[in-house]
Amino acid sequence: MKLKESLANFFAVICLTVVAAMAHASEAVFEPELPTVASSYFNKHNFSNYRPYLLAQNEVPTAKSQDEISVTSFEKFNPPLFTGSNAHKFLGVGTLALVIATAVAPKPPEVEDRAPTQAELDAQKSSSHAKLGRAAATLAVATVATGLLYHWDDFHLEDGLFDPDNQHALLGAAGALAMLYAISKAPDEGHAGMGIAGGAAMAVAIKLTW
Amino acid sequence: MKNNSIVLVSLTAALLVNSTHAGAEESFIGWLLDFSRTKEVKPVTDKHYQEECGECHFAYQPGLLPARSWDRLLKAEAMRDHFGDNAEMDIDTLKEIHDYAVENAADKSYYKRSRKIAAATADGPTPLRITELHYIQRKHHELPEKMIKGNRSVKSLSYCDKCHTQADDGVYDNDTVSIPNYPDWDD
Ligand code: HEC
Ligand code: HEC
Repeated sequence: MKLKESLANFFAVICLTVVAAMAHASEAVFEPELPTVASSYFNKHNFSNYRPYLLAQNEVPTAKSQDEISVTSFEKFNPPLFTGSNAHKFLGVGTLALVIATAVAPKPPEVEDRAPTQAELDAQKSSSHAKLGRAAATLAVATVATGLLYHWDDFHLEDGLFDPDNQHALLGAAGALAMLYAISKAPDEGHAGMGIAGGAAMAVAIKLTW
Repeated sequence: MKNNSIVLVSLTAALLVNSTHAGAEESFIGWLLDFSRTKEVKPVTDKHYQEECGECHFAYQPGLLPARSWDRLLKAEAMRDHFGDNAEMDIDTLKEIHDYAVENAADKSYYKRSRKIAAATADGPTPLRITELHYIQRKHHELPEKMIKGNRSVKSLSYCDKCHTQADDGVYDNDTVSIPNYPDWDD
């Protein structure tokens, strides 16, 4: 019990540190070459530095109206199906489904009053509840990995904590950690709360950017 | 159990924090219970807006700029000198378009890209161009100029629908991009 609490506290400290770091990063300007806060783009003083970002020559008189532009209608474009962001999406939704399945799956009765026998332990470890739980945590890790890989450009510290993509990434990662923590405690210690919290964090993360 | 309630309270708080961008037309609960996808930008639903603003260029979704930007752009005097063009129209139509744009602006929308734009423009000067938003600049800064202003079929980043094949539906996802004359832009 002691260990569980200190681990939970440790986890909370990590989360808070990340939160604090993000809040800090949204204020600090640590990379003078690049705009680090959205508003600095508008900062008159620095504005000329950002010329490279002005790709479209919007002020040129040639790009006046659409009529003057030769229209090449692209042949009917079909978005590809097997893309990184689709993989991330299906993994995330799959994780949620597995969390729910884990919660409702049958599990062997808990042994409260004495140390469980080896046979009882084996039964617990090979129950569908245990298998689904491990699968859910594995999928959660894969989801976080594909999110980092394919949505790296959606995640910017400078946008701060109010940015939906930052909230999504933070909650998703926290959810995966909570699920890993839950399977590390199972079956000897109570872990339902952490498992549910992990699933809930993932659900909120998905909803925020759905 | 105490730890779990802390976690749940934080999760609820995260959701509530997002609801500060709550729209007048939608409620927070409505959004929460709605499973339809809102990760893009709300498509244009007003017929007059679509017709009048789609005349010279793609009719930008109101969710791409905050309300105060639309309020400034869509005033009668402002429309007389609209980025160097005269885009005047009758006062009643303009009023309807103005109100529609303001009501569906980024800071009134639940759609994700709108929420991002709203959060990033909450302070600071009022942006008048979508292409000047830091978010939009950042999303395109890797594209070489030859694909935009050097591209006969695009000319300027302002013509979103030249490359975003589903821009009319408010969809800008990377997976739906096709740059004219540069079929292999992704490489
Ligand atoms: C008479 C033609 C005309 C009409 C009508 C018109 N516009 Fe424009 N608009 C322009 C031109 C020209 C530009 C500048 C395009 C460029 O820089 O390449 C522009 C640019 C814009 C931009 C900035 C785009 C960017 O670069 O981010 C916005 C926003 C905009 N228009 C909104 C509207 C809205 C809303 C309406 C409907 C009320 C409208 N426009 C109607 C001609 C027009
Ligand atoms: C020259 C073609 C071109 C034009 C014009 C253009 N875009 Fe894009 N846009 C792209 C490409 C290419 C990407 C993907 C970049 C990448 O994969 O890193 C993109 C990405 C985006 C994204 C991010 C998509 C995602 O999945 O995260 C948004 C939002 C976006 N564009 C909005 C706009 C808007 C709004 C306009 C008009 C004001 C516009 N774009 C005009 C080519 C264009």
